[in-house]
Amino acid sequence: MQAETLILRGGRVVCPLNNIDEVMDVVVQNGRVVSLGSTAEEGRVIDCSGCVVAPGFTDIGAELGDPGYLWREDLISGSEAGAAGGFTSIVSSPKTDPVVDTPVAVAELVSRSFELSGARVLVSGAITTGLDGEHLAELGLMVESGAVALSDGRTTMMHTGLLRRALDYARPFGVPVILRPGDTELEGSGVMHEGEVSTQIGLRGIPAAAEEIGVARLIALSALTGCRLHLSQITTAGSVKQIRAAKEDGVRVTAAVPARHLIMTDRAVDQSVYDTSTRLLPPLRSESDRLACVAGVKDGVIDCVTADHVPLTRIEKEVEYMYATPGAMGLETAFSATLEGLGGDLISTVRALSVAPANVIGKRAALEADAAADLVVFDPSVSISVEGPFRSRGLNEPLKGRVLPGKIVMTIRDGCIIYGPKRD
Amino acid sequence: MNRKDLLGLRDVSREEITEILDTAERFRSVSERRIKKVPTLRGRTVVTFFMENSTRTRLSFDLAAKRLSADTLGFSASSSATKKGETLMDTARNIDAMKPDAIIIRHSAAGSPHMLAKAFPWSVLNAGDGINEHPSQALLDMLTMRDHLGSLEGKTIAIVGDVYHSRVARSNIYGLTTMGAKVVVAGPGTMCPPSMAHLGVEVRHTIDEVVADADVIMMLRIQRERLQPGMMSTVNEYSHFYGLDLERLKLARPDVLVMHPGPINRGVEMTPDVADSEQSVILEQVTNGVAVRMALLYLLLGGEQTGGEEDAS
Repeated sequence: MQAETLILRGGRVVCPLNNIDEVMDVVVQNGRVVSLGSTAEEGRVIDCSGCVVAPGFTDIGAELGDPGYLWREDLISGSEAGAAGGFTSIVSSPKTDPVVDTPVAVAELVSRSFELSGARVLVSGAITTGLDGEHLAELGLMVESGAVALSDGRTTMMHTGLLRRALDYARPFGVPVILRPGDTELEGSGVMHEGEVSTQIGLRGIPAAAEEIGVARLIALSALTGCRLHLSQITTAGSVKQIRAAKEDGVRVTAAVPARHLIMTDRAVDQSVYDTSTRLLPPLRSESDRLACVAGVKDGVIDCVTADHVPLTRIEKEVEYMYATPGAMGLETAFSATLEGLGGDLISTVRALSVAPANVIGKRAALEADAAADLVVFDPSVSISVEGPFRSRGLNEPLKGRVLPGKIVMTIRDGCIIYGPKRD
Repeated sequence: MNRKDLLGLRDVSREEITEILDTAERFRSVSERRIKKVPTLRGRTVVTFFMENSTRTRLSFDLAAKRLSADTLGFSASSSATKKGETLMDTARNIDAMKPDAIIIRHSAAGSPHMLAKAFPWSVLNAGDGINEHPSQALLDMLTMRDHLGSLEGKTIAIVGDVYHSRVARSNIYGLTTMGAKVVVAGPGTMCPPSMAHLGVEVRHTIDEVVADADVIMMLRIQRERLQPGMMSTVNEYSHFYGLDLERLKLARPDVLVMHPGPINRGVEMTPDVADSEQSVILEQVTNGVAVRMALLYLLLGGEQTGGEEDAS
């Protein structure tokens, strides 16, 4: 990729970290932002009038399936799907085959990620080998090899003693530990949120309590060990409430809600007549949970919105509801879903997709002189109709058919246009 | 009735249920003749596709189709290609290639009949999907109740046992409430959780509370083979709190109807003397099952094209 001098002209520049929200030009050179507001430089002019120019989005925990699940996704398709969704960085989940649980596996992904022409892929290493929840992996060596976080993916570590030791062990390496709060025993054989809808349509439920017990465990263990924890998918009102209290107590936790959970509820399972694209983990929750999550993101208790990207194909989804693999793709729709969910609140959207997730992995997502030129340009006034083809290999998009606000116009990473018009 | 499939009673109207029951009443006489066959569905192909064990329902559907002169073929889990790893959709595509008119499916996964109904042109009849619905059973139950009670409007139906995990109960609850009946359920806390109230029923926890006011007592089978650990303690304790014996039956109105979808665990949910008592209409349910299923096949497959009305009379 060749970085050229770009002049993003006349866009509404939104940078929550610097309290910027005004129309001005942004000049990008040699992969970095060189100036805001000045147009002295020569370069390729990109008309951004009517659009928002903001720091590029970061996603934490996308399942890119590479290696081992290449029919679902690989680094290239995942990276390009991310770029199309406005993401400049994606932290991949270690849920691959084999699992990313050794320094060699981390190093291999890190080196391959240099060749990508879409979003940057950052690597998280598994906490336990094979994600078995029992045997501690070489956490420090993986961090030395370039892992930006440690995670057991979607697997919930049920062995509390080991989890405590893992957090104590991980803390000195300085990277966040990413875990999905849950209780596999209580999740049981549930396939959707337990409530009115599951009772009506005869599907076994996963109670909100399964997640909330997980949240309580993780908060208590973060307080005990001092380890920085990121709760990768929280979806219930009770979780929001606990996280609010934990933050007030100074516990070092951050949390993300999946974007689609801001605009979908368990009614979708019924309305779609058992469409397996609605089978998710965590599941789509009730309306009151949805509203609590929206409020949590708006007031900052929930730091991040995540694409919660789990691309799957007909192999995993064209089966009976209870046998379908849970998950949905999300990189290409997360932005519009967030904007819809937050009622068009641009500042909160940028904060939840750019600033907060970057901060979780120790990066600063800001538009300022000498910052890495990771930018997204989007038009909030245009609606998109969610329909394929997608850049992701997944086919499981539960938002398919919906019309959502906001269109990604251009994504720029390290000063290169990774999505959008290559030439005027 | 203008619908391709019967997937459950949740979205079936009062008028449609009445039409099904009225049609079933007319078909009942066919089974009482010496030659138990009418030509209504001659040349139509009905497939029974049972991915879970069944005796009553499969035989009843098979007999219903045969008495309407349809060609029937059936296959079950043990004989099907799913054992060799074929997906349900692929199996269905193969059945589809043989041009059936209707498929009667039983499957352990809720929503499976709906998946086939969305994807294929033929009629799908749900013969039980997971813990969701078993509409033909509820319809035969309602026909049996109507025979004795006249109308279902304002009647009180008690359902006792593992209501939450019962597709028979769920279909009955939908159908009965649509018909204006009041449904009261009783069972252990694990089997009648408070969320049952979402279905528009009253939840109680002792059988004595529900027996006294009931016009009908429907006892459900304890599906011992499916119970998760902790769902109940012992059969002894279950029978003590939720079993129906003659002593408890005395608390009920003398003309109460005792029903059970079968197969009965004698001595668990009811004592043998209750199962065989005057109030028991369990075998009438089975007889009505054939008539109801004839009516469903006739209404869904459009038997009127061959003059089914006269055939049925």
